[in-house]
Amino acid sequence: MQIQYKPPRGWLATIFQTEILQGMGLTLKRLFSKPITRQYPEERPQIRTGFRGQHALVRDAETGDCKCIGCMRCAMACPSRCIRIRSHKDKEPGSRRVIDCYRIEALRCVYCGYCEEVCPVNAIVLTEVYEYSRYERASLYFTKEQLLANWDQFVAGLDMPVEQYVNPFWRPRGLPERDLPASKRLPVSPEWSGEQQVVGHKWRQYLPPEQS
Amino acid sequence: MDILLMLVWIVILFAVVMLHVAYATYFERKIIGHMQVRLGPMRVGWHGLLQPIADGIKSFFKEDIIPEQADRPTFLAAPIICLVAMLTSLAVLPFAKGWVLADIDIGLLFVFAMSSLASYGVVLAGWASNSKYSFLGGLRSMAQVISYEISMGLSLVGVMLMAGSLNLSAIVEAQGDRFLGMYLLPQCLGFFVFFISMLAETNRVPFDLPEAETELVSGYCTEYSGMRYAIFFMAEYIGMMVMASIATICFLGGWNGPFAVPFFPPLWFVLKVYLFMFVFIWIRATLPRYRYDQLMDLGWKILIPLALANIVLTACLKAIMG
Repeated sequence: MQIQYKPPRGWLATIFQTEILQGMGLTLKRLFSKPITRQYPEERPQIRTGFRGQHALVRDAETGDCKCIGCMRCAMACPSRCIRIRSHKDKEPGSRRVIDCYRIEALRCVYCGYCEEVCPVNAIVLTEVYEYSRYERASLYFTKEQLLANWDQFVAGLDMPVEQYVNPFWRPRGLPERDLPASKRLPVSPEWSGEQQVVGHKWRQYLPPEQS
Repeated sequence: MDILLMLVWIVILFAVVMLHVAYATYFERKIIGHMQVRLGPMRVGWHGLLQPIADGIKSFFKEDIIPEQADRPTFLAAPIICLVAMLTSLAVLPFAKGWVLADIDIGLLFVFAMSSLASYGVVLAGWASNSKYSFLGGLRSMAQVISYEISMGLSLVGVMLMAGSLNLSAIVEAQGDRFLGMYLLPQCLGFFVFFISMLAETNRVPFDLPEAETELVSGYCTEYSGMRYAIFFMAEYIGMMVMASIATICFLGGWNGPFAVPFFPPLWFVLKVYLFMFVFIWIRATLPRYRYDQLMDLGWKILIPLALANIVLTACLKAIMG
């Protein structure tokens, strides 16, 4: 590593405080630059692929219920332990596990997305809804019915058919195709995976010029 | 009848200055915002134009909390002392030819006296709050004002020598209405010292040690709330305006400009004061705060010797050139 030292200051520069004047020049220049502030309620941010927002349980089109099979992987993977599942299995052979209770305490969630990645049936999802602040804590302790309702709300605002929607977290990155269970071998947009991945400041080049 | 007319003038001046104070806060927030590539207040009115009024109403109706262990009479008096001292010095400022409430012969000294009196308000506020942050803020303010009052007074001695008077109107008259008549060029050393002391005297960044937010919460006004807190801020902004006016009068030729303005004679004066206010804000947006020992070093080791040298130089030149 090369260290760049500041050149020593001459006596003229000391008397006239050129460094202060440089700083003043910079602030004056910035005074006439365009502010980057976004006036939030009027001007909305563009939500990019992989945004992790409000929790939802995907509603299965066939059964009308959630896809969850009660494997408890999400509850195990959750670093803040905010998922709580209770399920039972009927005595007769071949019957599916029935979910009695699936609760997420959204206030404790850290929005890491591990639950989505680990879910073998893509039952849980962090949707792109981000405006769900409430006045009381109890309503942010999502029950199974609320989570399904969250999904319906998200689908209503979606601009494509539900069948085509793929949350990028459903397909964990860095794993080869053969290591994934069949239901997780999903097509993900190139913006999310591979060389074209949008990371860091790269998102600016994807924005229309008036927003960058 | 004369007294009545005088009262009317006082009320008009008070109203105009208070309006300026309110909008000085708005422009400060706006300019600093844009310098930091933000927008500043945008919500109240068009581009936040009514923000100062909303702030005023808010602080007026806020709960006035007085700490239990505070020295009550002093605590209540401190902001009033600040504001009254600052407002009083407005009386001697000549805004245009003949536009002055009290045309006294010791005008400059009067302004000095009042600005150091205002620092009593700060010191008393720090003492009476019975809080360590306030107390430290008060102490710092005292030390700062004592050091910078000297260099400020000395820096203006050159102006007094050249004008031969302490009357502010006479100082402006002595500079004439030509550009070269301004004392800015012959007194550039004095102006430099005065400018820095002016920042220190009004507790502005980079010399805002009495209310250093990062170290002292809010310095001397930590324990104040509501309207009393707002009064301290009014006093600070009036102080800024008074100091900007003094700088305009003593160094930039007061109300004189390139041409006379027919209906509003103080126009040039007001524009010059606005320029100084902008520079105050600009400096605030740029510079970090001085450390306490650096502040003292700058005051005693650089500014006072410079101001003394300026006096000697001016006096010698005046003696030689007659």
